[in-house]
Formats: sequence, structure tokens, C-alpha cells
Amino acid sequence: MDRAVIRRAGESQVWSSHCGRLVPAVKSAAVCCDRCPAAVTVDTSHFARRRLLKAAVFAPAQAVDPDSVDRRVYRSVTGTILDVSPHFVTIGHAAGERRFALTADATAWRGEPLEPSALAPGDEAIIRIMPSQPGIADRIWANIGRVCGTIMECDSQRLVVHEGAMRRPKLVVISPLASVRIKVRIPNLRPGYLVDIIGVWQRDELHGLIATSPQPTYRSDHMPAVRPVGGRLPEAITGSAVWHDPGEEPYGVLGAFYPAVDPTAGCAEDSAARISPGEAQAFRELPYLAIGSALQVRNECTGIAWTLPVTGCAPVARMFNDHCVTCKTSPRGRVADLTVSSFIALGGELEQGCFNATLTIGR
Amino acid sequence: MLLRLIGEVQIPLLATMLLGGCAMKAARSAQARSIAVGLGPTALFPIRVRRPVGMAMCAIEFGLGIGLILTAGAYWQGASAELVRVGTGLLFLVATCALIELKDERPDVGCGCFGELSQTPVSVRTIIRSALLAAAALGTIRLRPIELPKSAGTVGILFAILVLEVGVFALLSPEIKDVLVRIGYSAPCELRVVSPEQTLSALHRSTQWRKHADLVADHHPSDIWRELCWQYIAFPSQFAGQDAELVFAVQLEQRRPAVLSALVNTATGAVLPWPVSAARPVRPRRHGLTRPRLARYPDPVSYAEPASMPGTPGSAARRPYPPT
Repeated sequence: MDRAVIRRAGESQVWSSHCGRLVPAVKSAAVCCDRCPAAVTVDTSHFARRRLLKAAVFAPAQAVDPDSVDRRVYRSVTGTILDVSPHFVTIGHAAGERRFALTADATAWRGEPLEPSALAPGDEAIIRIMPSQPGIADRIWANIGRVCGTIMECDSQRLVVHEGAMRRPKLVVISPLASVRIKVRIPNLRPGYLVDIIGVWQRDELHGLIATSPQPTYRSDHMPAVRPVGGRLPEAITGSAVWHDPGEEPYGVLGAFYPAVDPTAGCAEDSAARISPGEAQAFRELPYLAIGSALQVRNECTGIAWTLPVTGCAPVARMFNDHCVTCKTSPRGRVADLTVSSFIALGGELEQGCFNATLTIGR
Repeated sequence: MLLRLIGEVQIPLLATMLLGGCAMKAARSAQARSIAVGLGPTALFPIRVRRPVGMAMCAIEFGLGIGLILTAGAYWQGASAELVRVGTGLLFLVATCALIELKDERPDVGCGCFGELSQTPVSVRTIIRSALLAAAALGTIRLRPIELPKSAGTVGILFAILVLEVGVFALLSPEIKDVLVRIGYSAPCELRVVSPEQTLSALHRSTQWRKHADLVADHHPSDIWRELCWQYIAFPSQFAGQDAELVFAVQLEQRRPAVLSALVNTATGAVLPWPVSAARPVRPRRHGLTRPRLARYPDPVSYAEPASMPGTPGSAARRPYPPT
């Protein structure tokens, strides 16, 4: 971890070099820089403690009513398919295996909608479990992946996409079957432009099949100016909620990358990309929060709402200025970049890429 | 007489619109270091020609604006004045057609007429404004040289026409809203970037700090984070021989920020009463400040159920898969 304690002459305050910047020294675990490129472990308990300390200062209005938890929230499991039949699917991992019964109308997706029995052993599957029925699954996505970022290099078929300073560049191969469809929505297949493609992983390549939204017309380094916001920001923020490919992230993490993590805390992606505090480009002006802050995310298409912690900043999502049209047209801008499990929990369909979301932040 | 006075008002109005538009476009381009940024209808052109088209638009507006002023009086009357006015009319006619096209092709793009101020997507209002300007320019082609008004009554009529026309164009201009926002703009506290050192210095000036500073075991904060309009600073502390944390919430206001505090048991997370020796916590003194309360949210769940833990709900099921 990039951390060195510095004491300025004549000051009692101790400062530390924090991802290349100077901030007041914090004795225990680092704040956002636990996610710096050199960091090995992630101290999530440190961030969870922030809610407790905040609640100590601002006493909650009332104890949480257990009935207020949305019972429609979906669970999901991830693993490799070991066996599949029209009525059952068995998935496993190094630690064991698990069998699920499939509902009569269960569907699967592997580049296109298909019957669950058409999946093959060896496919990496994400299985959606019916709410309050832990042994029954109704939806399976196999080998699904998403690459969202700035084109670094490209030719007519292949793109190398930069997804932020914390992730390795990804290779996207535009499937010939979807080439025309993708190029209609992504006309600028040139370095510097943003792309957001969903497809199927084959080894280390994503075979792109779906362009989730029209490509922004601006380059990622020439963002349009943000219109100033006056007065007080609304408590509920509406926009588009998307999901991101887990990459090196542990499977099953529930949380949201939020596009406006306090810049002075040193968003790991910004620090790694050497972006100064407050200079991170974002299309949408959102209130600043910290890693660990609680967000209530409501899927306006399904009505399911759940509270999720902020687990990171969304360096790429904040550059998109698109609508989500999953159920109706959302206001412009991506307001949350959810983990796969969170996206599914709220009833999102992965191949659609987004849902219309309303964020409520505890004030 | 009235028609002539109406015509005389159009020349300075058109010249102001053209030169203002040119200046705002140039300012926007200089700010973004690109001539092709925010110039509205240039978005209809391929990227490689946007720069020359943008430069040409600025140059034409500037030339016509200056031309309208120079040919308004007795000098350069006749063909040159008519040429400039026809040119102005044609410019606004072409702009009207371009805006109609832009509205169909790129409904997300602003007209760019006044650079950064014109980012609102093109609407019918913008198109009507452009059409009215074209009509105003074409209506002045045969206008006689403008002379200074000879009576106070004429000045009054000219002023009334000007005010009326400016009002009509203001109603048709989406830019007015942005201008008004900018005049009265102050960033909401949720969007203000405040450094931790600024917050620490505000905390050190507060009554809360003076009352509880003796409880702080180590003056190096154990955590600093920010949510919305509050910055939180936690310090290690001791209470009755047990480890505790003293947490301050500092409101991100420039003048007399409210500061709240609490003492929390590190092991149990329970809020501890203030020691008898320490004074009672001071409520914020600002009138009208309400104590913020958390929304009623359930606690977030740490992890979804992993597939690798068959039939083992509980603590094991909360652990995620190791990264592969």
C-alpha cells in the first residue's frame, strides 16, 4: 500500500501520502486506498463501521421494521454447470456442488435466449433463485460478460477496451452475427470513444453481441460541460442503474459502485489514474458519499428496493449520459453501477444491461 | 411610421444577437480548447469537418454583425447594406432548417447558438426564435438609413418596441434559465469539495472539540469520511478503561458549521454516556437547524449466497468465493 507518514514542520497534525496525495493521517486501515492497485486485502469491516458511528451521532428515527425488507429480492448463485436437464441444474465449484430445481417457465441465456437444457456442462452460470424458495431457480445466464470503457485500440472486428485504472484492459471481439446491430448503436469504433457491450466470454475474449445503449457522441477525454445545479439536490435521484462484470471482484458481493465518491477521500481509480481531487469528469452531478455509505436502490421496473453499501467509485459509468429504456425512459446519466448479485437481486435482467432506478440516500 | 421604427429596432437587435452568439461560441471553444465543441448544428457534420464548419459559423456571424452596424447609417447604403441584410436573413433561414434537422437527428444536442449556455436540447421555441430572426432580417432589406430619433415620443416608441421584442425573444430562449441559475448560483453543500484539513480546522475551532478534546487518546483521526453535507471524523478514545471512539460530525458550511459528537464503545458499538467530568454535548446553535435523521433502511446484506457452500447457511454462506 502506498502510505508514508509525514509530519509537517510546526504542525501537530500528521499527514500521510495516500495514493500519491497528502491527506491527514488515519491510524487504522486506509480509507479508499485499500483498493489501490498495490493493495492486497480489502477491509470491508472498516467501512461497515462507518454506519454505526454515523448512527451514534444521528440517532435513527426508529428501529428498522423487519417487515419493511422487500421480500421479493432475488438471490443468485454462481458456479460452473456440472449437469443440466429440463428440470434440474447442478452447479459446482472447488468447494462443492449444488442442485436446483427449475420452474416450468425457466429460461436461460447464452448469447441468445434458449432452453435451460441447451446449456452445456462447463458453462459458467449465474442462477437466479426464486424469492423465499431457495432450491428453485427460474433464470440462468451462462458465460455472460460485459465490457464498458474507452476504446484503446481497435480494428474492424476487435477492440481493446480500458475499463478504468483498477482493471486490466479487455479484448472484445465483435461477433459477425451482431456486427451490423452493434455498429448501428456504436458508430465510432475508434480509440478514445466509449463502448458498452454485453456478450459471451470465450476464454479471455468477450464475444460482443449487444450494445446496451447508443454510444456517447463525445470522446471520454472531451466530456460535455455539466450544467450547474442550484439550490438543494433532490433526496431521490433517478437515472439508469447498470451492472459491471465482476472481473477480479469476489462473486456474490452485494454493493454498488457510486459515481460520486468523495474526491478528497481519494477514489482508488482516480488516484491510480492520477486524477486530482474534484477533477474527475462526471456527466451527472450527484451528492458526494463515501465508501460504505448506504444507498437505497429501487428498480422502477419491478418495484423492488434494497439498501446496498457503496463499494467503489464508478469511473466509467459516470461518463455515460444515456437513458435506460427497460420499462420507460429514465432521466439521463448512470447513477449506480451494481454488482451482478445486486442487479439480479433487484430484478434486473442481465442481458438488458440496465434498469430505471431511483436512489435514496439516508440524510 | 410605426413599421419603419420597428425595422430600425431590428438592426441593433440582430447585430447584438450575431455578435453575442459569436462571442459565446468563441468563449466556449477557447474554454474547451476545441472549436468543434458545443456548436450545435455542427453535430450534423462528420467529425473531420466540424472544426472548419465551426470556425466558418463564428466568422460569418462576426462579419454579418459588424456589417449590420456599419451599413445601418448613411454610409455603405444601397447594395452593400442590402447584401448584408439578405445574408443575415439567409443565415437565420439556414439555421432554422438546421435546427429542425438537428431536432430530428440529434434530439439530445443543444442548438449551440450561445455556446455553453445553449445546451438545452433543441425545442420548438428555439426553432421559432430562429425563424423570427430570419423574418426580422429579411424585413429590413429595404430599410432606409437609421437616423437619431428627433423627438422624445419617438424614443419612447423605439424603447417600447425594443422591450417588447427582447421580451418575446427571452420567452423563446431556453438560455435565459441557465443565465438566471448562473447569476444566483451557489453549489449545494452536497456538491462542494471540502478537504479534510479544512474540516479538521473547523472542528478544532468548535465548542464541541473544546469540550471533548480531553477524551481524545490520539489526535490522529482513526477515520475520516464524508456523506452529503457532513464530514465525519473518528478519534480513538478511552472510557472507563475500555477502548472507545469519539466521533464528530462536522457540517460542511463555510461559516459557523454545526458540529455534533458521540462516544462509542469500540467493542460493542454501544453509544456511551458522556463522562461526568466532560460537559454535556452542545447542540448546534444555529436557528432553524433540525437534527438530521437516518432514513429507515434495513442493514445491507454483506454477500449473496455462494454456490460453493451447499446447504450451509449462516456464517459460512456469507463468505464470498475467493477470486478466481
